[in-house]
Amino acid sequence: MVEGEETNFPLNARDCLYLDWSHNNGHLCRPLQDDHEITIEELEMRYDTSIKKGLTSSFASQVLERDGPNALRPPKGTPEYVKFARQLAGGLQCLMWVAASICFIAFGIELARGNLASFDNLYLAITLISVVVVTGCFGYYQEFKSTNIIASFKNLVPQQALVIRDGQKNQINAIDLVVGDLVEIKGGDRVPADIRVIFAQGCKVDNSSLTGESEPQSKTPECTHENPLETRNIAFFSTTCLEGVANGIVINTGDRTIIGRIASLASGVGNEKTPIAIEIEHFVDIIASLAIAFGFTFFVVAMFIGYEFLEAMIFFMAIVVAYVPEGLLATVTVCLSLTAKRLARKNCVVKNLEAVETLGSTSVICSDKTGTLTQNRMTVAHLWFDNHVHAADTTEDQSGQSFDQSSETWRALARIAGLCNRAVFRPDQEGLPRLVVGDASETALLKFTELTIGNIMVYRDRFNKVVEVPFNSTNKFQLSVHELEDPMDLRYLLVMKGAPERILERCSTILIKGQELPLDEHLKESFLTAQMDLGGLGERVLGFCYVYLNEKEFPRGYKFDSDEMNFTTSDLCFAGLISMIDPPRATVPDAVMKCRTAGIRVVMVTGDHPITARAIAANVGIISEGSETVEDIAIRKRIPVEQVNKSDARACVINGGQLKDMSSEDLDEALRSHPEMVFARTSPQQKLIIVESCQRLGSIVAVTGDGVNDSPALKKADIGIAMGIAGSDAAKNAADMILLDDNFASIVTGVEQGRLIFDNLKKSIAYTLTKNIPELTPYLIYITVSVPLPLGCITILFIELATDIVISLAYEKAESDIMNLKPRNPRRDRLVNEALAAYSYFQIGAIQSFAGFTDYFTAMAQEGWYPLMCVGLRAHWENVHLQDMQDSYGQEWTFGQRLYQQYTCYTVFFVSIEICQISDVLIRKTRRLSVFQQGNKVLVSAIVFQLLLGNLLCYCPGMPNIFNFMPIRVQWWFVPVPYGILIFVYDEIRKLGVRRNPGSNTFVIVDNHPPPLPLVFLVAGCDLKHKEKVSAFFHESLFCFSRYFTSTPH
Amino acid sequence: MAALKEKRTCGQRCEDFGRFVWNSDNGTLFGRTPEKWVYISLYYVAFYVVMTGLFCLAIWTLMYTLDPYTPDYQDRLPSPGVMVWPDKYDEEHIVITYNSSDKVSVSKMSSCLHNFLGQYNDTLQKDCDHNCTKGKYFMQHNFLPGTHTKESCSFSVSQLGNCSGLHDPTFGYNCDMPCVIIKMNRIINYLPSKNNTQDIQVNCTVLEGEENVKKIEYFPENALMDRSYFPYYGKLAQPNYLNPLVAVRISLTGKRSAKFQCRVVADKITYENIHDPYEGKVVFTLQNLHVPSSPSSVHHHSSTL
Repeated sequence: MVEGEETNFPLNARDCLYLDWSHNNGHLCRPLQDDHEITIEELEMRYDTSIKKGLTSSFASQVLERDGPNALRPPKGTPEYVKFARQLAGGLQCLMWVAASICFIAFGIELARGNLASFDNLYLAITLISVVVVTGCFGYYQEFKSTNIIASFKNLVPQQALVIRDGQKNQINAIDLVVGDLVEIKGGDRVPADIRVIFAQGCKVDNSSLTGESEPQSKTPECTHENPLETRNIAFFSTTCLEGVANGIVINTGDRTIIGRIASLASGVGNEKTPIAIEIEHFVDIIASLAIAFGFTFFVVAMFIGYEFLEAMIFFMAIVVAYVPEGLLATVTVCLSLTAKRLARKNCVVKNLEAVETLGSTSVICSDKTGTLTQNRMTVAHLWFDNHVHAADTTEDQSGQSFDQSSETWRALARIAGLCNRAVFRPDQEGLPRLVVGDASETALLKFTELTIGNIMVYRDRFNKVVEVPFNSTNKFQLSVHELEDPMDLRYLLVMKGAPERILERCSTILIKGQELPLDEHLKESFLTAQMDLGGLGERVLGFCYVYLNEKEFPRGYKFDSDEMNFTTSDLCFAGLISMIDPPRATVPDAVMKCRTAGIRVVMVTGDHPITARAIAANVGIISEGSETVEDIAIRKRIPVEQVNKSDARACVINGGQLKDMSSEDLDEALRSHPEMVFARTSPQQKLIIVESCQRLGSIVAVTGDGVNDSPALKKADIGIAMGIAGSDAAKNAADMILLDDNFASIVTGVEQGRLIFDNLKKSIAYTLTKNIPELTPYLIYITVSVPLPLGCITILFIELATDIVISLAYEKAESDIMNLKPRNPRRDRLVNEALAAYSYFQIGAIQSFAGFTDYFTAMAQEGWYPLMCVGLRAHWENVHLQDMQDSYGQEWTFGQRLYQQYTCYTVFFVSIEICQISDVLIRKTRRLSVFQQGNKVLVSAIVFQLLLGNLLCYCPGMPNIFNFMPIRVQWWFVPVPYGILIFVYDEIRKLGVRRNPGSNTFVIVDNHPPPLPLVFLVAGCDLKHKEKVSAFFHESLFCFSRYFTSTPH
Repeated sequence: MAALKEKRTCGQRCEDFGRFVWNSDNGTLFGRTPEKWVYISLYYVAFYVVMTGLFCLAIWTLMYTLDPYTPDYQDRLPSPGVMVWPDKYDEEHIVITYNSSDKVSVSKMSSCLHNFLGQYNDTLQKDCDHNCTKGKYFMQHNFLPGTHTKESCSFSVSQLGNCSGLHDPTFGYNCDMPCVIIKMNRIINYLPSKNNTQDIQVNCTVLEGEENVKKIEYFPENALMDRSYFPYYGKLAQPNYLNPLVAVRISLTGKRSAKFQCRVVADKITYENIHDPYEGKVVFTLQNLHVPSSPSSVHHHSSTL
């Protein structure tokens, strides 16, 4: 970037005058003021102020009363009780509320019928409600904690402003400023309001948080543009004055400032449902329809068998409630918050628990450039001297390679860079990074020379500065004259830096390897090439030259005059070029690479210039090596841009101006056809449109950003990620996740964790769903076959709430390839799909039910009740008045003894489910890999814990009468084991199928892609074409069969 | 994502559902082509046939291992239950309420007892008492040849004396001296007392309304359950086994209402299990609703017996 290039203010307010933005709430497009165009006198008139004395205090207080304080109104905070209520109103929670009310109704009916004995429904309802409330509290607490972390980052120091009122300078709190106030700003201050500049001296303002430009903008009293956003005589609220001083009249305060309008634009964007919330709703839909279908079927069956209507109704309700996976809510909450905690340790704070998963589903990251991808500080990137380009170390911690510094020319260049520099370190600083007062490029040079030649302040003291000509836009150079450090050498040294072509004009010689050589055409050409090359990298290039002034002409004590420039300024000796850029953060290229491997597209959306944006994009890998834009192809082929086939260009750089003329279809098309996109000079609304366009294309979009200009897009994105250190409050408010260390690489961690949690949730759900069937079938058999109840309500709750959660806590590490897969397709790759539900319910669940019933009948038979006798036994068995009921051996049982026998049955059924679930958890823990390929110590300990808990429940004294667990015979633990092994083998065969037929996905029940396989193919043994071995035939056909039922209905 | 977030109207949802039910484009019914449905159903049929087969095999193996004479475990039968007849309940407790002046009520009670005692009919009892030595446990370690059964000692209803129903078919329910019959549940191989010397005796105590009870009599004498009825060897070994009974004749007076606890006393029979009120004992209330106005009538009744 060559200094002085016409800058085009990216926050282009005209955009909204011409385009019909869907999110245009009129914030930015109010008829703009002409405060910058009118004369100073008119301005004084308008605001009843004076540019000398300012407002009168009394008038100022009146205005303050009228306009309110000069502060951004914080976005309306959600009341705490609403936040808490939200925790209780998710998809699963609603399901549980409904279930709880059904339980209450069922309990009411039982009570009305005089059945005092059955409190199960009441207990169940209470448990359901407590699960919802407890997990709600848990989730609320988690979010509360992260809110606190974020709040602690807010700057609480009230901003001060120097204001002139009644002709007196006063330091007041910036929130007390009013329109018409005369304020003074100087280097280092934050601009306290929108200000019309009336006087400025070398004033430069950093607009990066507002516009994304890393270049400082100079502010002058002249009106340079009709658009208030592009003119130089307005400084904006919350931007930082880097150097110089300025006076100005406040023209907007508080929410009426530009920044206030952008902030309120963000609040106008609604919150979207998170992908995981959508998945859970989908899951609830499946559960609810299955529950009602099942319940209704058995209601009809019960009526048919001859139960009373009310009794059948209670059966119906019980079945519906039994379908509710009580433990799942807790599992989901625990999984999410564990991951949130893990992320927080890696400096990602998540505001909304569900956002943890969103990052995992992300398929597009729209990243801001300045401060996110780059370090947001100018740094010396390249040097050109001795007719060569040298690369400097741009890493944050100076860990990179440096260039060869042995050349004489380098020493001369470094001396010029060090001396011809007005930037200074702020005094009394300890530790890094040291703060510098001065222009961004001078700062860069200061830090660079400090690093290469040592303490520059001491160095400067040795070369006493005699005179200095500061930079101005007409000269486009800066020079200073110094005495030499050698007291014997009485010559003066003139050093100069500036726009390269201006410097070159003044040079006649050039320093090559310490030798002063005449500047011939050949060298000039290579200079121009170097300048073009560096400029093409998006870097700001400065030229450096020097001359030793003639001792006779300029003896000691010569009166140098900076205005007259009464000294030699031509025939200088050219030393070299130094180019600077806001370099990418060291971790970014690697992170971008990882995102690409993970199938995530990184799109750069910045307010900065296209050249810079493109250079950085190429640097960090957003535009990969060898990718060309349409323009590049046109130049290479020497054909007009229109003739280039657009699909040949992988990369595309679109700037705000072009974007303005594109329809949303054009934008979609551009996003579709170019995999590598860079958007430059975009306004906040345009960022919003880009996000919307990505979302229209079916992507889940993450937006990263730090500036106020990013906040609307952050809010609109599926997940907004703000920077914690560099980020503005507006950005942090709008974001869902905050990177405390501003490290883009943390996003990769986030993606990995998000994918992991989705996988783990899938596994947990598959696991949780399975045992719904063995919990339900006892009741169904009880109704239809009238056996004594094999599994009680409290026992079910123990399975759901105690053992289940423990297992789901067994956090699985990523299957090794998790970051090499494409992001999930939100339309196809659901958390729970029909195939998964069918496999869990009707196959694994069925096997578990058989296991349970085998154990049940074993326990019954060995205690004296033969299986066939059990059938139809219910009425007598449950008759409280029958105290001498005969079993199969003729023994007589009291009701109490039968009840304990029933508890024994509950316990063996419980144990059967536990044993089968161990097998189930083993098979669920991997989706593709065999269990043997992925060990897990945590899992083993969780299983051991589960078994211990089971043993405690069974054998702890007092359990029979508290929780209806009986100390059962040891061998009954082993009855379900063969079924467990069967489940294991069955699923390993399925997984073998997955691995053997990687393309087909037919065995894949979890990540499902529907394969419409013709039947012949199936029965004939799938891929006989490829696999000739006849011995494989049997296996293959077995797989093919299982493939059929596991395939998804699509 | 956008497509998922779109708010659809009810009509569109119904339409979508309709398309899910029958999609004419690719000929799918509920998401599958009819052909696929057939095969998937076949798979499931096969799956469940195999699973049911395995289950049946498991149950068959289970039955194969069972001893038809004795159950493998008697974990839930540590001590026998005790029951009283007539077994008339109110909501929760046994309350034997009758009206000695009401013929219907009397016949209800007596027919209950007649029914209960029907199987103890003397003529039905085979005379197999030749091996029964009263006062000793009747241990039979071997089966009888031929029938593969074991002998059981007969209990004839006549042993109940005045409460046998033979002399008084109303069992005393037409007056203030009703009979109740106490039966102890049978448990295979169960011996109520450790040694051969202690008696197994029924002992009834009055819990409430002691002033209304004039006298408690037991039949057979001493309220004994003879040891020769124990142990029980199961339905298959002893098809003719009958539990020994003890009848209790209670003479009511005053308000003619009292609460009793009848316990079978033997050192191995526990009776203090709060979770099973019928273990080793039975608690019941006996009440005659007919309270004669003059005390002479009481006298009259008792004198007739």
